[in-house]
Amino acid sequence: MLLGLSGRHQEGEVTLDVINGSTGGDGGVMHGRLLNRLVEAMWEGDPGPLTAACDDLLAVAGVDVLVDAVAVSANFHMMTRVADGAGTPLDAGTDEVSEGFRHEIGVNDLVSRRHVPTA
Amino acid sequence: MGFGWRFARSESVRYAVGASDWKNRDMSAYVTKLPIRKELDTAHAAAMAEWSAPGTWWTGAQRLAIVAEVRRARDAERLAPWQAPSLVEGAASDSHELPSPIVDVVWRLTNHPGTLTADWYTSILARGVEALAYVEVVSIVAQVNCVDRFADALGLDRMSIPEAQDGEPSGEVPVDAEVRLHWVPTRDIRGPNVWLALSGVPDELTARSRLSAAHYVEGDAVFADVVSDRFSLQRVQMELVAARTSKLNECFY
Repeated sequence: MLLGLSGRHQEGEVTLDVINGSTGGDGGVMHGRLLNRLVEAMWEGDPGPLTAACDDLLAVAGVDVLVDAVAVSANFHMMTRVADGAGTPLDAGTDEVSEGFRHEIGVNDLVSRRHVPTA
Repeated sequence: MGFGWRFARSESVRYAVGASDWKNRDMSAYVTKLPIRKELDTAHAAAMAEWSAPGTWWTGAQRLAIVAEVRRARDAERLAPWQAPSLVEGAASDSHELPSPIVDVVWRLTNHPGTLTADWYTSILARGVEALAYVEVVSIVAQVNCVDRFADALGLDRMSIPEAQDGEPSGEVPVDAEVRLHWVPTRDIRGPNVWLALSGVPDELTARSRLSAAHYVEGDAVFADVVSDRFSLQRVQMELVAARTSKLNECFY
């Protein structure tokens, strides 16, 4: 949801299906495809693709962007574990607002949805 | 421009420090030529120092054993979600005294966070784990996954595990901690549900918040300011990275 909200404040439209992977384009986000590739490579943990993803982002966006993008992804490896480890339900307001695009981003079938109480 | 320098191993700093020493500006988590922001480096050093100290439910030695077990889980051949490492010969370390359900929590939460269910959580409690002790484990596992994945991605040495500090856990239970919307007990405070998740163990909420502020956005600004850029990233870039990471971890929240 924050992707959509933050995307309203820039030029051009952010398409939420960019969340589904790096095989598409940038989704209206600067370096969006390369950022997705980096995130996917971090998640997979295979050194070869990870080095390639880092190299490519570094070449076009610079080392500060690389370090900060890695930092943000690492943060959400933490937050997802906090949320799912504690059985965290969606916030009431978020639940209603996100109903329209949850199917689009492919999260309605996640186990972590079915097993949290509805606020 | 190449990224070959990620294989020029950095030197991590070995700690034998008190938990309060993280405030020392000279203390670094990493020695590297990468432009790692000071607040990131300091936050990581602080995290390791705090893991080595007695917590609310676990001793410093036990907390460090959790750190080591997260690393073992991440570096091992991947087990299926339903396989308990405590029952798999040679999977978990036998050099610590973590209870077997805690070992299973560490591995499952590290490698398969999107598969957790209320029934699984209930089964962990049925094996004798206190709910708030479980919360502290969740917090440490989550934090280690953050810190180590950052280091791994940038080719930095993971921080060395220090000696544990002496002392006993405080056992402090907030008077208002009870099960509300989450599986686990939470305090009766305001905030998004994910912020409340660790509130039953206040020190863990503080520790998690400090890491998030260095990595992402200060707590109050997460929803209050969705426009401002931070560090070298546009906010929309940060949210794409956040959303894609969450999707890969199969996190509905």
